[in-house]
Amino acid sequence: MRLLDLFTWLETSPVGAFVKDKGATFATIEAVHLMALAVLGGTVLATDLRLMNVVLRDIPAQTIVFTAHRWFKISLYTLLVTGFFMVAGVATKCYHNFYFWVKMAALAAGIAFVFAIKMPLLRGNIDELRPATLKLVALASMSLWFLVAASGRWIGFS
Amino acid sequence: MNELILDFANWLASQTFSIGLHESFYLYNWIETTHVLTLMVSLGLLCIIDLRMLGWCFTQVPASKIAERLTKPMLAGFVVMFATGILLYTAIPVRTSQSLWFRIKVILLLAAFINAVLFHRHMKASIDTWDRAPVPPARTRIAAGLSLALWAGVVVTGRFIAYDWFDCGEPNPAWIDAFIGCTNPAA
Repeated sequence: MRLLDLFTWLETSPVGAFVKDKGATFATIEAVHLMALAVLGGTVLATDLRLMNVVLRDIPAQTIVFTAHRWFKISLYTLLVTGFFMVAGVATKCYHNFYFWVKMAALAAGIAFVFAIKMPLLRGNIDELRPATLKLVALASMSLWFLVAASGRWIGFS
Repeated sequence: MNELILDFANWLASQTFSIGLHESFYLYNWIETTHVLTLMVSLGLLCIIDLRMLGWCFTQVPASKIAERLTKPMLAGFVVMFATGILLYTAIPVRTSQSLWFRIKVILLLAAFINAVLFHRHMKASIDTWDRAPVPPARTRIAAGLSLALWAGVVVTGRFIAYDWFDCGEPNPAWIDAFIGCTNPAA
């Protein structure tokens, strides 16, 4: 089965038809997606700006990192679920859309970065890490998640 | 009032910079992208503050610290979001002025602003009594919940502006045409 067949099947499936054909369904899911994106942005910024020593400097980095990570996961799961439904409604358009694949690549990189690099690194003693390492991790994290958001917006322009 | 708004929107739509914004594929799209990215900054940090005020996160950190330290970057985000919002309006002033969702969005924005001012006053007057409490008093939690609800409404109505439901010329109930200022609903 080719990948395009999978996307075509998804769009014609009951889920795809529901999202596509039922009035304001797509727009409502899109709005929830945006709100989850805002929460994700807040957790990423609070964490990464703290790691860069820009905000919340008098609060231990561990406190910020691990509390924010719980809300990061909640918003990420919400984004993935709502994102799946949005793709289902316009799957074949997404398949042919360059920015969709940019977003998927950035999203995969963002998830891999957070769960395989950033959090394992920060689970040790943050104070023992070099400031330059923390800044690099924070910059990479913010860049990836802003790229996910920007490329997501561009799906709708093309 | 509706005529005044429409006259202003028509005047704006005839200006070179409005036409330029509307016709420029990359400029318009980058302004809209910046609007969404600053949503992550402004609304994202606002959510963190409100979640602390609800007693749902950072409960081990004094509420005043979370609010004070995150307010500056949050406001910076709001300034850019507001500026890009004005530019988006400038690019499509007539249709936006007569959009039901845009009008509800503006009302919700005003309500969110008033709620924020009242909340700030309440916080300044009483923070000493609950600053370290993991769960702030009911009045604080209600204000934070209201703030999140109002901003969720702003996001929903903002996204709905892109859709043509209830635009002038659609078969709308008369009160909607009156509310959004359709001077000639049949047009």
